[in-house]
Amino acid sequence: MSSCCKIESEFKSDDGRLTIALAGNPNSGKTTIFNALTGLRQKVANYPGVTVEKKTGRCRLPNGAIASVIDLPGTYSLISRSPDEQVAMEVLRGLRVDTPAPDAVVVVVDASNLQRNLYLVSQLIEMGKPLVVALNMMDVAQRRGLNISAQRLQKQLGVAVIPVVGHKRQGIEQLKAALMKPQVAPLPDWPLPAEMREEVTVVGGALAILSEEKSLDQDKAIAERLLIGDRARDLQEISTREPVASLLGHANRRLSAAGIDPMQADIEAHYRWIDVVAAGSLVPACERLGSAGAVLDYETPKGATLTDRVDGVLVHKFWGLLIFAFIMGTLFVTIFWLAQPIMNGMQNGILWIGHWLTHALPEGPLKSLLNDGVIGGVGTVISFVPQIALLFMFLAILEDTGYLARAAFLMDKLLARVGLHGKSFIPLLSSFACAIPGIMATRTIENRRDRLATILIAPFMSCSARLPVYALLIGAFFASFGALAQAGIMLACYALGILAAVTTAWVFKRSLLKGGATTFILELPSYKLPQISQVARQVWINAGKFVTKAGTTILAFSIVLWALAYYPRLPRDRADQADANVVAAAQSEHSFAGRLGHWMEPGLRPLGFDWKMGVGLIGAFAARETFISTMGITYAVGDPGESGTQSLQSAMRGDHYASGKPVWTPLVAVSLLVWFVLALQCMSTIAITRRETGGWRWPIFMVVYMNVLAYAGSLVVYQAGLLFLHA
Amino acid sequence: MEKTCGLNACNHSGTAGSCALNKLGIGCSGFVVSVGGDSELRRRLLEMGFCNGAQVEVVRRAPLGDPIEFRLRGYHLSLRDEQARHVTISQS
Repeated sequence: MSSCCKIESEFKSDDGRLTIALAGNPNSGKTTIFNALTGLRQKVANYPGVTVEKKTGRCRLPNGAIASVIDLPGTYSLISRSPDEQVAMEVLRGLRVDTPAPDAVVVVVDASNLQRNLYLVSQLIEMGKPLVVALNMMDVAQRRGLNISAQRLQKQLGVAVIPVVGHKRQGIEQLKAALMKPQVAPLPDWPLPAEMREEVTVVGGALAILSEEKSLDQDKAIAERLLIGDRARDLQEISTREPVASLLGHANRRLSAAGIDPMQADIEAHYRWIDVVAAGSLVPACERLGSAGAVLDYETPKGATLTDRVDGVLVHKFWGLLIFAFIMGTLFVTIFWLAQPIMNGMQNGILWIGHWLTHALPEGPLKSLLNDGVIGGVGTVISFVPQIALLFMFLAILEDTGYLARAAFLMDKLLARVGLHGKSFIPLLSSFACAIPGIMATRTIENRRDRLATILIAPFMSCSARLPVYALLIGAFFASFGALAQAGIMLACYALGILAAVTTAWVFKRSLLKGGATTFILELPSYKLPQISQVARQVWINAGKFVTKAGTTILAFSIVLWALAYYPRLPRDRADQADANVVAAAQSEHSFAGRLGHWMEPGLRPLGFDWKMGVGLIGAFAARETFISTMGITYAVGDPGESGTQSLQSAMRGDHYASGKPVWTPLVAVSLLVWFVLALQCMSTIAITRRETGGWRWPIFMVVYMNVLAYAGSLVVYQAGLLFLHA
Repeated sequence: MEKTCGLNACNHSGTAGSCALNKLGIGCSGFVVSVGGDSELRRRLLEMGFCNGAQVEVVRRAPLGDPIEFRLRGYHLSLRDEQARHVTISQS
């Protein structure tokens, strides 16, 4: 290891435990290196208050010391304002109370994309923390004819540069060895404009007077950050203290008079330094240098790279869209059809286990709670797992290969019209199968506003749980209209959902989630082969997190719903009847849910619904298709899950009010269909939204706005229909 | 592929010798002269490497016409038309 740096930090923490932060650009292969460093000893959580994932792991250094490694979100810069970049910056600067300040930083650098990756390195150098560079993807760089030398780069940066091949675990031991003695890089002399250099000296001098213990380099780095307008939490106090505040004011006036934008001058100076470092890192015999000898000659690639050739097809005007449609079709079919039998099988298995476990218990509240509340709830949670696992398998493969960025590139124009992002496409598509995996898939969207907008509209996509309800209602009341009309109504349900989604997205992006135009800067990384171990890990982590985090909320909801339907019990004399179905129906009406249905009836009447439908809607909260079994019970025809829906459909058609008017008409069915398209009545969606947005605020908002919209929609349809029919 | 990528590839009416990046023809390249737009967009573009006369090549447009893919400093990224117009390019 070289020792060309000024400060060497012997590496000891109070408790002997070191904290190492792993930083790097997106697509730099950071995750692979994190996995190689920490093995399976990982913990995935969320940073409190933000929806940014916090991954930590442990790694044993060659000297036996245990280091805890924090995998920071992939970032291009540390001054940015996106939540990911904010978190990365705060962790690195030790500004987060929930995370210990790192003792050292490993920065993963993609050698095939050296210049842009070095920008983050230049910011980390300014931070003044001990630093180790993991130089990844040397093989890719070499294939592109870039012969980068780690030694040369190390000499210029003044910190250890370790070549690594993450997925082959090459260089990982050397990286760990370097972490025993990380070095602080000397602050480079950025080629800033002379005017700005002066101001850095002036402000830095003032800072040096205020703080005795810091090094001069640190004062200069802070002065630079202050001048470019960085007001991170660690600078807020110092920026308002005198004489710093007034010096900054003068400096900014002088600079703007000289026509210098400090922010731009600073970034350009960093890149000028990078140009020199990058050029100096090449092995000269193998690479032409520009005539000035200072510019890395990236601009004349030696023929098209593999990625260029693949992209020629995958984002081709015709073939690209065709292949995209095929891939998305496969994804959809997989989570819509393929997952279904697995889900049903797992749910039935859980129920069977439940019955077997409670077999010995006497009939009564405990048995019912365990069977219908707890085990039913667990069954609901488990039933989502196949879909989530399959979707995340797809997402991991698409992301690993680099196709996810292409998908966003292809679809962006379509979604940009309503203010969304190209990356909203897959979450919305997945939501046609189920909003749960769909909402989880929004994690690929970096921009928080775009992500929230996508989450808020995802439940409008008609999910697979709505399909049986659509089929029941359409089959019961439109069978005589012919197959074509039935298909048309079904299609209209889907179209209405999409229309509602597009409209609300448009409105939200102009009101609630306003904040300038979306900055769409999308890197199109080189294609790579996906690694099975990475994909499996992604699937495992996400399915596990769903079960442990959202699962508990779903279970709690499930028990509440059970209690609503179970209590209060029928009096003994009414419960002693021969026909079990009649008793079940009477119990249903007698229960809190039944009473709630009656209580809601005046409010539901304008939509054409009666109390029984109200009970059905309460039941549908567990999962939309539960509407059918709840209706089966209230109509005393038993659970249609076992006997088919024919008897339920004819019971519905035969139901009359006391006045003799039929309860159900095609218009009522249409009104109820509109309700099902628009309403958010799925506890699991609420639970996952809570988990993904980090609080109750957004799920509550979602429930309110969607159900208000559903009420209004059904009201308009029913009342307008009545007017039309009576006219 | 031989292509006329001079200023005639730039279908705009700006100052002579420069061109908004979104107006540059596919397959053509130029050098960054300046970056405009609001400060957040400008900072992001600068940080992604649109500075110091970096060479930018227009690789392709998405099949639906937008966004546009560029090659810059040895990597590929895409910007919407609306953002690319803030970058000014010169031919030399």
